[in-house]
Amino acid sequence: MNAIEIRGLTKNFKEKQALCGLEMTVPMGAIYGFIGENGSGKSTTEKLICGLIHPSSGSIRLFGKPHTDSDVRAKMGVLIEAPGCFPNYTVWNNMLLQAANLGIKNPEEEVRKVLKLVRMEGAAGTKYKNCSLGMKQRIGIAMALLGDPKLLVLDEPINGLDVDGMRIIREVLVDITQNRGCTVLVSSHVLGELEKVATHYGIIRGGKMIREMTAAELEADCRTYVALQARETSRAKALLSCKYSRVEEDESGCLRVYDQATPEEVVTYLYDNGILVSQLQTAKIGLEEYYIDLMKEGR
Amino acid sequence: MARELKFESPSFGKRLKSMLGVDFYRLFHTPMYYIFLAIAAIIPAMILGTMGMENPQTGAAAAPLYTNVWQIIAADKPLYVVSGIAEYANMNMVFIFGGIMVSIFIGHDYKSGYVKQLFTTHAKKQDYMMSKTISCAFAMACMCVTYLLGAVAAGLLTGISFQVNVTSLLFALLGKMVMSLGWASLYTFLNVIFRKYFGVSIASSFFFGTGILIIGAAAILGNNSLLNIFLYGSSVFACLSATPLTLVVCLVCSVAWALIYNIAGTKILSKSDVY
Repeated sequence: MNAIEIRGLTKNFKEKQALCGLEMTVPMGAIYGFIGENGSGKSTTEKLICGLIHPSSGSIRLFGKPHTDSDVRAKMGVLIEAPGCFPNYTVWNNMLLQAANLGIKNPEEEVRKVLKLVRMEGAAGTKYKNCSLGMKQRIGIAMALLGDPKLLVLDEPINGLDVDGMRIIREVLVDITQNRGCTVLVSSHVLGELEKVATHYGIIRGGKMIREMTAAELEADCRTYVALQARETSRAKALLSCKYSRVEEDESGCLRVYDQATPEEVVTYLYDNGILVSQLQTAKIGLEEYYIDLMKEGR
Repeated sequence: MARELKFESPSFGKRLKSMLGVDFYRLFHTPMYYIFLAIAAIIPAMILGTMGMENPQTGAAAAPLYTNVWQIIAADKPLYVVSGIAEYANMNMVFIFGGIMVSIFIGHDYKSGYVKQLFTTHAKKQDYMMSKTISCAFAMACMCVTYLLGAVAAGLLTGISFQVNVTSLLFALLGKMVMSLGWASLYTFLNVIFRKYFGVSIASSFFFGTGILIIGAAAILGNNSLLNIFLYGSSVFACLSATPLTLVVCLVCSVAWALIYNIAGTKILSKSDVY
């Protein structure tokens, strides 16, 4: 059984079509990285899953049931845009209110537990309006974790977080999926961070899912390249471009040779043409580069 | 990964209880609630206090608006056609201010993003409508009580007559408090319709709260008891000549409108998007 199954989903806002026939499958227990440009339909999809907006057509099933099913929805946690806290109440009171809404039996214990999980115990007595952006994000995640949710929908959860905050959230996501049977759908533009935890990916463009894959498939799909620094960069690039079909220069002036070139082959070729290589390594493109390449292909 | 998942179905009672708990907590922990209680107490005191003030130019005292302190709670007779401020200014004014309070209360839900959290985990919009209606009705009933206390205090200070048929007064008071439910449901409904426009929510609540439509209708129809089918009509019907029938009329009208507005509000919420 999949945690989320979306088929032929469309959503129109007056003249604008935000989603056009979106297909999406999120397996149970996955950390699903949902990636796309601004305005590609990520937030719309998340709001549709949460039942906040209504689809124009298509179906959404959560754990095999319609997404409108109140039983399933009671086991969802969400952080979309803002955590939904009252600014004049303390973090503790806001959390207790949400716990009460969820009908949690031991609300104080549960609130203490989730605040500890996101390392926010110390901020319990702070008024929400006095919290920093990073603190608010962590409170939002803590709030979403109340009531032991089975599906967590997080929209840009690491926005405004410092390095330590990002690490904490990564640990929390791994913990809840591995130890508590939770499934996480997380959208983020910080692809480097997403890559560290995601088990599955979905890439959306113009309201359509253009690729869905597992982390292993991404790994296999990501090409290796030879990165080198040469003294005469532009001449080296011109020479390499004659032999290899794809040669690129990055911002630091480093040349990248794709096409399964071996380092020995590249060095020998340049040496034979009178160019000395000062630095050499083989590397693999990351999620970010993979995503950028994919976006370029579509243009 | 074959993992069995069980989803417990929260009962209606449990769901409503938890939402009511949150709404009442918010009500009691919001300064706005106490401000409105104070406003409700000050209104009758101000009206009675300004009564009989001397005209600084002529030195003559203005004609008293009320001969009896209870007339500021309700008119002697159900007067839908208003010919003067004294016939209009009574406990029904609580419902105007109550409307503004409900708009602010519900407006905070949307402004803070609280409804997004709520509607994700609480799929049933009916719970929201009911919870808001009940908590706001309670708040308005409390405003009626502080209005009464303000009127009594001002009456004692001004030395105006307290003579009244106690039974009728009690029925009038109860009738007006019962009407809080219907008014709260109307305001909740209006705020659900205009949820994206806070200013329009307040303006519409104020507009309907004044009862201007019924007063306008009464100008055409006269003091017609048919107007009791409306919230303002029943609120006026709860006057100082009230009988047990008055209370029954108020109860039926209030509950009927509460049901209508709750059903309509639930339908609107269920079909509309939350932003």
